[in-house]
Amino acid sequence: MKLSYEWLGDFVDLADVSPKDAAEVLTRLGIEVESLTLVDLSQIVVGKILEQVKHPKSRNDLWVHQVDIGGGRVQQIIAGAPNAVVGTLVPVALPGTTVPNGRLVKDMNIAGYKASGMLCSADELLLGDDHSGILILDGGTPGDPLTTVIPSQAIMDIEVTSNRPDCMGHLGVARELAAGLDRKLKRDFMPSFTGTANPPGRELVKVTIEDPDLCSRYIGCVIKGVKVGPSPDWLQRRLRACGVRPITNIVDITNYVLLEYAQPLHAFDLAKVEGSEIRVRRAREGEKLLCLDDVERELKAGMLVIANAQQPVAVAGVIGGEDTAVTAGTTDILLEAATFSGPSVRQTARALGLRTEASARFERGLPPELALAGARRAASLIAELAGGSVHREWADVYPRPQEPVRVRLKPWVVDEVLGTHVPLQESEAILISLGFHVKVLGDGEWDVLPPVFRLDVTIPEDLVEEVGRVYGYDRVPPTLPGHRHDRWTPLVPSIDRRLDAAREVMAGAGFTETWNPALVSGRKLEALRIAALAMRVSNALSDDMDTLRTSLVPSLVDAVALNRDRGRNEVRVYEIASAYLARVGEKYSQPEEPLRLAAVASAGNTADSGRAAFYALKSVLTGCLEALSAPDCTYQRGAAELFHPGRCAAVILEGRQLGFLGELHPTVAAALRVEGRLVAFEIDVEPVLAASRTPRAQPLPRFPAIERDLAVVVEEHVAAGSLLTAIKESAGDLLESARAFDEYHGAQVPEGHKSIAFTLTFRSPERTLTDAEVDKVMTEIRLALEKRFQAKFRA
Amino acid sequence: MIDDAGKFVEDSKARIVAARDEKEVEQVRLELFGNNGAITGLIKQIPTLPKEERSERGRLLNGIKQQAEAAIAARLAELRGERLADIVETEAIDITFPGPPLGRGHLHVLTQVRRQIETVLESLGYQVELGPEVETEWYNFEALNLGAGHPAREGWDSFYFTPELLLRAHTSPVQIRAMQRIKEPPIYIITPGRAYRRDPPDATHLPYFSQVEGLAIDKALTVGDMKGTLLYMIQSLYGVERKVRVRPSYFPFTEPSFEFDVTCGICNGMGCKSCRHKGWLEVGGCGMVHPQVLRNGGIDPAEWNGYAWGFGIERMAMLKHDVDDIRLFYESDLRFLEQF
Repeated sequence: MKLSYEWLGDFVDLADVSPKDAAEVLTRLGIEVESLTLVDLSQIVVGKILEQVKHPKSRNDLWVHQVDIGGGRVQQIIAGAPNAVVGTLVPVALPGTTVPNGRLVKDMNIAGYKASGMLCSADELLLGDDHSGILILDGGTPGDPLTTVIPSQAIMDIEVTSNRPDCMGHLGVARELAAGLDRKLKRDFMPSFTGTANPPGRELVKVTIEDPDLCSRYIGCVIKGVKVGPSPDWLQRRLRACGVRPITNIVDITNYVLLEYAQPLHAFDLAKVEGSEIRVRRAREGEKLLCLDDVERELKAGMLVIANAQQPVAVAGVIGGEDTAVTAGTTDILLEAATFSGPSVRQTARALGLRTEASARFERGLPPELALAGARRAASLIAELAGGSVHREWADVYPRPQEPVRVRLKPWVVDEVLGTHVPLQESEAILISLGFHVKVLGDGEWDVLPPVFRLDVTIPEDLVEEVGRVYGYDRVPPTLPGHRHDRWTPLVPSIDRRLDAAREVMAGAGFTETWNPALVSGRKLEALRIAALAMRVSNALSDDMDTLRTSLVPSLVDAVALNRDRGRNEVRVYEIASAYLARVGEKYSQPEEPLRLAAVASAGNTADSGRAAFYALKSVLTGCLEALSAPDCTYQRGAAELFHPGRCAAVILEGRQLGFLGELHPTVAAALRVEGRLVAFEIDVEPVLAASRTPRAQPLPRFPAIERDLAVVVEEHVAAGSLLTAIKESAGDLLESARAFDEYHGAQVPEGHKSIAFTLTFRSPERTLTDAEVDKVMTEIRLALEKRFQAKFRA
Repeated sequence: MIDDAGKFVEDSKARIVAARDEKEVEQVRLELFGNNGAITGLIKQIPTLPKEERSERGRLLNGIKQQAEAAIAARLAELRGERLADIVETEAIDITFPGPPLGRGHLHVLTQVRRQIETVLESLGYQVELGPEVETEWYNFEALNLGAGHPAREGWDSFYFTPELLLRAHTSPVQIRAMQRIKEPPIYIITPGRAYRRDPPDATHLPYFSQVEGLAIDKALTVGDMKGTLLYMIQSLYGVERKVRVRPSYFPFTEPSFEFDVTCGICNGMGCKSCRHKGWLEVGGCGMVHPQVLRNGGIDPAEWNGYAWGFGIERMAMLKHDVDDIRLFYESDLRFLEQF
């Protein structure tokens, strides 16, 4: 919201406070000043036009002015607008001056005529967006600084928190500023103006509230005989400063009071309100209203409207209707000041896609007492600036009177919460400066009555905040908590830190960690046939992020695709994050969110390169599991949607399937527009961490080992894993380890067969083994393999 | 014959000294001491000599043998020294030539920052607490004083699955769950994790982001304690010269509530272009836990109080590493990720 510094000065003495200092004070009070625009008019002088003639030579429309700039000096100045006629007073920027919009004025020569200075438009002085003509001044003396007529401007753009609708107007902000500067506020909240004309206003208009839950108060003030016309310059200037376009005096005054009090108002042309009757009711299905912005809107049943006896004339708290709007010919008006329910206005504004200055304020919940203050202020301004007589005794339907909320405060709690000492008198003075009434009770507690415009203060903590922010949180010294504890929780390393061991392995293997969005395209998951357990959000921003991913792999494949597009061929990426799996049959409850480790690596273009990449990635996965101190896992032939059916392993740990390792199914890479082969794994890590054991040191071997190689020829379908199991089972205690290291096809191996080479290591903890002992075991192994797999052996 | 042997040895010694490499020395050694070597031959003849000559002869040959062996060892040492000297003299390489690419993988910068944050707060006795990302309306909003219709709800526009089930808009639900689980304060926890809001993506917003919130519940905690904790954290992460300020603000779940700012690292708080001449950079929100929120977590506000804070991990990383577009964190472009 935009604030005029000059306007704030109406309510609090800012003569010795710079806009920058004021902005700093407000920010520290909790009204964040997002930006401050300074408009320095002190270098601009008032000039009086003595002569105006059309430029005789220029092809453009230019006028040559002789301008009295005081002290007997007359400057020749050329301008493109014709409105600075003889006798008018105008703002003049002399050569060497920088105009507020940033332009430096220089001596010029335009088509043979000297131009020494510039006549300024409102736009150039940043006083509004009117650039159609020279700004004509109300008064002033030639040669005097412009600031004698128009004060220098400072516009603050502030952000008001949702609990402080009172600060969506200059008066509320000025009150904060006054408290922050320890000054008196120059204006009472409630104006005394009530109007005196007869007959009583409530006899001229009939107001009914049909739904008091949505409208707790409706004031209708009748003002007759107004003269609709432009507002005075000062008022227009202030509206413009706040980004509001002046329209007519009546409308401008309602906007002015909105910007001053934060109470939205609306003026109806009373003659056009059929039957002089106002009904505050819910809209009926199918009702329409041509709004002030010339858009006809269809209203939905349940939206709160202001209606005459038949049809809506305004959408309550959002926008007025065109048919009852004040126009040039209006003489009698009905001024509305009402209190509408915040949630109702928000819903309506959302449904209509229309957020107005009024709705933005109502949404936050305004106090009904504010309606009266705003109505009085507006009525008095209309009487003053647009003539008209304000009828006494306004219609004021007030079905839900505002109840005062008193708060009990143990004042020493202020010190206890802040952690510093604030003298009681200072706390009390702060509350009083903000409009609170403080009564000290016998037991030292305070009975505090917040001002009527502060519905947000209801508990003692709210009062502590009021004191704290004015006292200044910068004055609270930073401390660390630390009294004696007799209870504590020993540090448990976080899951993410425990997984750092796996991250080290991944980094060493050349994999870079990624963080990918959990919201992905549901359509894509369906195309990959992994959408069965997917949870879809009902109000997605776009359909490429409408569903929670059920696997990390597609995100990683996307990462490969993106980096390929950017010129990287070899890509190795991984991620540690949750997948989201709806519980079967319970699509509407919280899903499972298993934490996973997944990796994808490019794997060349051939069957062989894919195979090699598979085994390389298997080593990486095994390395991760080892680093996490998990027991050995096993790999069984697996089947999963994303994987190549012949190249997919299920990863099994202690009988539980952790996930899959394999080459990705060629259709998956194609669907995700990646050329070539990819290998991947994805496993649940929580079971791995649960199975993780602290490594225990084993005694180092004291006797030498004997190594033997064994090349086993078996039929193609026999898995190395099965051979290994058989080797281990048949070898007995002396076999320390066995590992397959080569697979061979070709000469010496019959068709349909393969040769797998193992390295076997034998060792005894008690003695040095002899070759004879090992030969005996090798024979046992050969026999077992012959028997179970019809194995042959190569030398 | 002895003279012959003597002369032969003298000749051999000359050959040993003249040998150009270890091989030549070996050749001479074999000629003298090999199976068919000259000295070996003479020694083999000893048993055939008359008894009285044998010992004299043995002593003589042994002396010759020792001399020869000493000469061989000396020459070998000399030659080895020359060879090693030659190695270091002739094998200089171009050390400016680069090594082969290591192919090292990188940790995501957000992981690095999250790890630093966890480490710093663990040093103050905070523990990591996690919770579900798909949350119920109650944990995400109601329990935090953000019931339906609350005007502040606007800042927490959320993704819904059903009217009751949504993607958490902050990690605050974990605070409530932690209070319910731990029950007995003191509670000192942090809640790193993902959160979601319906903000269209731009350079400073994403509909998904990562937060770390902190919660302390104990006896007689103060705003000063909260400030000290934030200052300790910021100084540990960014350097001891940084300052922290808290600015009054509003959140329904804390009272009083604050935004906390840190001095701009570029101008040290003097004001510059990068901090929009404010001298301060907004980092996150904080405040004293609202008594109703404590009650909702099952904690008696008459006995305990607390403070809480929250900020985006992305924001912290952006401040630390001068990242100007939040979208880079989730784009998985290796050219970005490999910078950290």
